[in-house]
Amino acid sequence: MSTEAPAPPDGFLVRLRSGVGGRGAVSTAAEPVSPAAISAWCAVMSETGLRHVERADGEDPLAPMAMLDVWTMVGFDAVRLPERDAGEPQQVVYQMLDDAGFGGVVATNSNQAYVRTLRPGDIVSQQTALVDVSSEKQTALGVGHFVTTQVDFTDADGVVVGTRTFTVFRFRPGTGRSANADPRRARLVEAGLDPDDFLDPPQRPERPRPRWNQDQAWHWEGLRERELRIQRFTDDGRLVHPPATANPVTHAMDWDWIVASGRGVLHSWTVVRHRPLPVFDRPPVAALVELEEGVRLVSNVVGVDVEDLEVGMPLEVCWLDSHEDVTLHQFRAPRAPRRTGALDPGSLDVGDRLPGEVVEITVDLVVEGARATRDPQDVHHDRVAARAKGVRDIFMNIMTTNGLVSRWIGDWAGDQMELRSLEVGLGVPLHPGDLLALSGSVEAVGDDTVTVVFAGHAPVGTHVTGRAVLGVAGRGGGTGA
Amino acid sequence: MAHARRTAIVGIGATEFSKDSGRTPMQLATEACLAACADAGIDPSQVDGMSLFSMERNVEIEVARNLGIPELRFFSMVNHGGGGGCATVGMGAMAVHVGAADYVLAYRAFNERSWHRFGSGVQGHHQSPEANDVSFSWTSPFGLVTPAQWAAIFATRYMHDYGATSEDFGRIAVADRRHAAVNPAAFFHGRPITLEEHQESRMISDPLRLLDCCQESDGGQALLITTMDRAVGLRNRPAVIAASAQGVAEDQWMMRSYYRDDITGLPEMGVVARQLWASSGLGPADVQTAVLYDHFTPLVLPQFEEFGFCGRGEAKDFIADGNIEMGGGLPINTNGGQLGEAYLHGMNGIAEAVRQVRGSSVNQVDDVRNVLVSSGSGVPTSGLILSTES
Repeated sequence: MSTEAPAPPDGFLVRLRSGVGGRGAVSTAAEPVSPAAISAWCAVMSETGLRHVERADGEDPLAPMAMLDVWTMVGFDAVRLPERDAGEPQQVVYQMLDDAGFGGVVATNSNQAYVRTLRPGDIVSQQTALVDVSSEKQTALGVGHFVTTQVDFTDADGVVVGTRTFTVFRFRPGTGRSANADPRRARLVEAGLDPDDFLDPPQRPERPRPRWNQDQAWHWEGLRERELRIQRFTDDGRLVHPPATANPVTHAMDWDWIVASGRGVLHSWTVVRHRPLPVFDRPPVAALVELEEGVRLVSNVVGVDVEDLEVGMPLEVCWLDSHEDVTLHQFRAPRAPRRTGALDPGSLDVGDRLPGEVVEITVDLVVEGARATRDPQDVHHDRVAARAKGVRDIFMNIMTTNGLVSRWIGDWAGDQMELRSLEVGLGVPLHPGDLLALSGSVEAVGDDTVTVVFAGHAPVGTHVTGRAVLGVAGRGGGTGA
Repeated sequence: MAHARRTAIVGIGATEFSKDSGRTPMQLATEACLAACADAGIDPSQVDGMSLFSMERNVEIEVARNLGIPELRFFSMVNHGGGGGCATVGMGAMAVHVGAADYVLAYRAFNERSWHRFGSGVQGHHQSPEANDVSFSWTSPFGLVTPAQWAAIFATRYMHDYGATSEDFGRIAVADRRHAAVNPAAFFHGRPITLEEHQESRMISDPLRLLDCCQESDGGQALLITTMDRAVGLRNRPAVIAASAQGVAEDQWMMRSYYRDDITGLPEMGVVARQLWASSGLGPADVQTAVLYDHFTPLVLPQFEEFGFCGRGEAKDFIADGNIEMGGGLPINTNGGQLGEAYLHGMNGIAEAVRQVRGSSVNQVDDVRNVLVSSGSGVPTSGLILSTES
């Protein structure tokens, strides 16, 4: 398979790059930084940092650093979007790419650097510069160009409070490497046609599909409802799992079910390392879980490093929509409590691991995440619009990913540390019903800074990888309390 | 049992064991059956019974056709694959004892490596909502789809409860491969392994390493069973069937009996063990060598415990210091087992027990009087005691 794409018109790249270095207009947020917006954002991200919630000293809450790019977003009032963006140097490039067939778009990187903490009353402005347009690249997604912009965020005095560098990949749909391994697709691409117009899309690998009959349907229906239903024989209250047709002791056939608490312990486990099914991006942990009600079931443990798996460890249920119409129970370690004391960078070693966390991606999280980050894109809140754009469902926006990561790292670092920068590379999207397993470790330790590298894995691939630098709150660049 | 010591295995026949036989399973079955008849010194037309166990794809009527058998009076199929190996001999013994047949052939023949690999498990199954398909729904959606993965769940808990280690599992593999190394019929002839090599082998499904898992093989093995009355006139010394038994225990699943109070034992093997000792009048001290089913090494350890060679959780001590190797207290799998000789769902192990009784094994144990054989562990299973004396 050649990685050479059809040759673009002469001078195309030169024209694409003609606007590099150009800056767009300064755009000012419609509203100042407000406690209400901070509060709404914190609620969605489960942020409980003392500086960001109601403060004992009566001071206004401070905006979490990861909210840097929220203030100049236009909210769900999407009508204003094209008006404001027209003439921006990156929009000129996007239009040229659209016209040349590079209609596919995916964000690949977001790097934020924070200069100071924003507080209620701050009025944020932004100005975008076109930093780079790459030459034509073949990626797994397709043939296209990476476009990088940098946004400077300033306060009312025009002083920079933070910057964001952002890279998107604009590509020709249907020209992806994996897609074109199919010779039928390759021939269509060679003919200058979009294979998706002619062929069924490549099938997504799926987990083995459970089968059931009327003896167990109620159990699987329960999982759809996020209920862990366990069979109970009504004569003696005996719990049986997997379900049976008769009480093995009394032979009674009258039963109902209880809804288990979802708490249990790890009874045994294995990591499937040799040829896990294609649906698994990484070797899955298959586990035998003993529920506190006394029955066992086979499930997966998610978000726990293999070295930390231990027979007897406590677990709690979480949910994964594995198929269009199937939900599976999964188990995770209970969420680690937020650090209450001060993190002492001197006590850390490179390689120290952060407590893993598994976030359930719900419709609420995706939609409320978009709302709290004032993101107007319909693919984050409108299922019909998302499907019309060829996505199987709404998906979580990057700013919510940033928010969840910053909150999770903040829970580990505690209130005495704050983010200096947050760099993320983006992978597979997260849809409602997915799970995001966050894991990370200390990469470097300075006198009063800590660098953390992290990854967020979805069941079918890596959603995010990145690096965060933390500093002691109030020192360094930050001026926050 | 009424047929105890009244029947015998009188013929064994096998093809070569390989990774690619280059011929059909039906031809392998035919060759193995002909070899077993020749070994006994009977004409194939005298065979009037066929005893099979499931996953056998060479249907008995076609094998009978190939052998020119004029009449089959007895034919049966025991369920549950590798757990049924010894049961085919038990079924044959019962059949000839009651006169349902005179000579019964039991066999396994497949291209398990070059054609259909059992190690790939149940991927792509689940076609119907009937009970057997539904039973996999409790495990397969979680990525637990192969025998190695199913076995690994037991192994992790066994290690936790009894302090056994990967090295303890490795000692089984080392013993098997040492025995295979001197067996010209073994696939791993001339290729012993060390415990270090075991420890360095890659992880398949924690805690199972590559060298904890038996190989996949092409080949065929047949056994011929008849009454002691007929056996005495045949070519070889009869391997007397002192006892045969099958076993299923409470809350039994196919390699996934995860819901019992204790998952570190093999209670179905206990059912087999109690019957074998009771009906033969023998005990662990009366056995000079054993062929213990070894698809995965961790499931060999609890077999010593179920058969009473040692107490619960003590197998790691029992197998230490070469006790299961030649010259030890209980040499096991002297053909190399399924890890070393071939994976024929245990049928080649029964043939090895016959050779030990005859005194013709390449790793002949001294003064053999009784040999214990077990079938698949973690599944509905079976066992045999073969003896020199009727």
